[in-house]
Amino acid sequence: MSALLEATEVTKIYARAQHPSLNKVSFSVAKSEFIAIMGASGSGKTTLLNVLSTIDTPTSGSITIDGVNIKNLSDSGAADFRRDKLGFIFQEYLLLDSLTIFENIAVPLTLQKLPPKKIENMVRSLAEAFGIDPQLNKYPNELSGGQRQRASALRAIVKRPSILFADEPTGALDSSSATDLLNTLKESNESLNTTILMVTHDAYAASFADRILIFKDGCIIRELFRQNDDRRTFYESIAREVAKLDTER
Amino acid sequence: MHNLSMALKNLKNNFSFYALYLLSVTFVITVFFAFTSFSMNAVMLEKISNDGRVETMCNTISVFLMAFVVFYMSYSNRFFLRRRTKELGIYALLGYRKSTILSLLITENLLTCSGAFIAGILLGGFFHKGIVFGITKLLDLAVNHSEIPFFNPNAVMKTACFISAVVIVLALSNSRFLFRTSLMDLVRYEKSAEKRMSFHAVPSVIGFLAVITGYCLALDILRGAESLWLTIGFYPVGMLTSALILSGTVLFIASFLPFAVQAGKKNKRKFYTETKIITAPGFIYRIHSNSRTLIMLTLLSAATLTVSSVMALSLYYPIAAVSRMAPSEIECRIENESEITAFKQIINEYSPGDDVTFLQTDIYKVTSTAGQLPVEYSIGTSKGDSDNEKILRDAGFECIPFSNYTVLLEAQGRTKALEQLATLNNNECILIKYQPDSDNDETGNVYPLLIGNHEIPVTVTAVTLDNPISFANSVGTLIVSDDLYHMLTEQAVPAAKVLSINGKSIEDNEALFQALSEYLSGSPYLQGNSHRVHEIFSLSSSTFLLIGFLVVLFFIATGSILYFNNVSAITDSKSDYDILRKMGYTDRKIKKIIQKQTAAFFIIPFLFGLADCIFATLVYKSALMQNILKNSLVLYTPTMAAIMLTFIIYLAYYRMTVHTCCKAVLTK
Repeated sequence: MSALLEATEVTKIYARAQHPSLNKVSFSVAKSEFIAIMGASGSGKTTLLNVLSTIDTPTSGSITIDGVNIKNLSDSGAADFRRDKLGFIFQEYLLLDSLTIFENIAVPLTLQKLPPKKIENMVRSLAEAFGIDPQLNKYPNELSGGQRQRASALRAIVKRPSILFADEPTGALDSSSATDLLNTLKESNESLNTTILMVTHDAYAASFADRILIFKDGCIIRELFRQNDDRRTFYESIAREVAKLDTER
Repeated sequence: MHNLSMALKNLKNNFSFYALYLLSVTFVITVFFAFTSFSMNAVMLEKISNDGRVETMCNTISVFLMAFVVFYMSYSNRFFLRRRTKELGIYALLGYRKSTILSLLITENLLTCSGAFIAGILLGGFFHKGIVFGITKLLDLAVNHSEIPFFNPNAVMKTACFISAVVIVLALSNSRFLFRTSLMDLVRYEKSAEKRMSFHAVPSVIGFLAVITGYCLALDILRGAESLWLTIGFYPVGMLTSALILSGTVLFIASFLPFAVQAGKKNKRKFYTETKIITAPGFIYRIHSNSRTLIMLTLLSAATLTVSSVMALSLYYPIAAVSRMAPSEIECRIENESEITAFKQIINEYSPGDDVTFLQTDIYKVTSTAGQLPVEYSIGTSKGDSDNEKILRDAGFECIPFSNYTVLLEAQGRTKALEQLATLNNNECILIKYQPDSDNDETGNVYPLLIGNHEIPVTVTAVTLDNPISFANSVGTLIVSDDLYHMLTEQAVPAAKVLSINGKSIEDNEALFQALSEYLSGSPYLQGNSHRVHEIFSLSSSTFLLIGFLVVLFFIATGSILYFNNVSAITDSKSDYDILRKMGYTDRKIKKIIQKQTAAFFIIPFLFGLADCIFATLVYKSALMQNILKNSLVLYTPTMAAIMLTFIIYLAYYRMTVHTCCKAVLTK
């Protein structure tokens, strides 16, 4: 499979910090891959996500997404790149309170200047496919946390991004809502071929991915592959690995 | 930590946040102190008020001013309290008692208000001195400035007592808020989401119709005698119009605007754009919680614009009308020729210029047997329709010769009127109108004039508002040919002899006018152009100054509340703009969204205020002002200037608000 994302020796050092938050991190992500990044708090997971998604800039190293070296992008170039290539899901949902769910999902499409008819069709068909069409005319504060996060996921998926970044997407959800969301992500990965890079500290959430990158002190210290394991078996091996890491602390 | 040191640390660390509060309170105290100092300035009041009118106005305005200060300070206080609610919640979580938090708030408020008080008193002192200087220059008053203290101790005391009382009221209001809000609500106060808005067509349509009907009623005044204002009565129609516009404005803002924007969302081609999809729902969302503030701002804006526009018109119109009320620099009646010599001596004494012209006009009164005579023929002949009811005139035309007319116009510098003149035949005349009257044009009318035993018909070839003699000396003036006038002089004695004195060197010479007035024992026939302008300024300036205080206050109030409201709403939604940036919105697009969101909240009060001001000015001008000038757009110049000034002030506040919002949202 060809690499969609290529990170080479990516380093991020914040001013006045004693240690680098990212220390020469190199890895690649293939098209349609679902990757989870795990690690303890402060291990550099979120910094990596910010740097990969053009929200922050690396101190050194290079990042290429879909053939574009994102380090060379200007502010407006980075904004256009996010508009065209990237999708985001956040732990706090971050839906716009003043917009209905339909409008929230439609925003990225209006940014791409698609015709109104097409926007309507895309939003409605996606909402139907992922079962949130009854909530389309509601406002975020009228929905449960799980429903909001699913709406947030659809907002990220609807524009068919090259890669979707999810930062602790299940962090604020109960177990049932978390499973629903992870199934949504998995389904989007499998049926729409969405490439996903998900930061999580939860072994259960990570077990939905194809590959796990485990972070410690700004470096990738281990890599786990699902291979032919079912989700449950993969979850057990992740849990064992996490327990081992905890005892090594 | 001790409360005082904690409050000082807070103020020091969040100076930029408190600076805004400090600045706005300083502003208010400056205006309050300047006004109080002025109303306690015995030296000035003695010069500009003879009948206690200014003192009464000061007392009335002071009530408005106090109400405004209380409202404005409590609004600013609530705004800043809201932005600190989470911080106060964290104090409570750490174990601070609510009474301790309250005393911290009071200490901070006391420190801020003390700073604002010192700055306000200083600036207010300068402001007061500036006003005194301006008035003395404008009215040419002899005032000993050293008698007016920079800080009037009584004014300082009154300001201090009043601000202390306001601070106590604020402390009580803060304690009410603090003790009534639960710990959970304190921590989550900023996050509380708006309830879903419901849209109702009926109140929206009623609001729209009420506003339109109100404006149509106001326009009805232009129909003149047939208008409802005159057939039903000014006050009932005025009340109905105000009630319709007031209730219509409330419903228009609270129901119609969100309803219209919601309906506008159905236009998908316009709605599904990167800006509109954010701004339209955002507007509906904001107006739901801010409609009361917006209504209040709209009414405040309407009041500001209307008051400033009517004030400008009320000052400008009488000054513009002086050219008709007193067309010559000095004019009086003479009883005998020796008076002319005496006048010349007095003028030489006070203004020894050689450009002064003396023109005597003998006015002959002539009656007419025409069935339909112009209103000017009998104006002032009975009680109730004369400017000076003690002196009643006999009905008739007051004839002057064409040659005198042209010479007078030339001496008065009215070249434009001269250019339009055509010579008169013996059977022709020009009628001088008192008021412009579009309904009755006398041009072409024939009036038989009774000269001796003959009836000589004359045809009106033109009517004009260019009267060469003041209305105090001649009403119903008829310009006739020199030959016809000559016939008159042979048949009768003049009804009045009027002396018109003109010349650059005698302009703006109040001492000369007073000397002439003394010589004529205060004769009501003595008229002066510059004197009249001076008199208008003297009588009106104190009123305008005091109303000016209110207008400035209204401007500060409207602008600052719009500023606070928008900055608060935009910075509270900072996370929303962060989402948009992550989605791919550039900083330029976000700035555009902020500009549009802010503009909506500035435009609504301004446009409503503008419409209210235009219609109110129209009603005021048509119904309450005596119309002796030709209707022309030039008359509305001061109104337009007032509107333009308001627009510039709004624009400055708007730019400042957008700048602050963008700085808060786009800072990485």
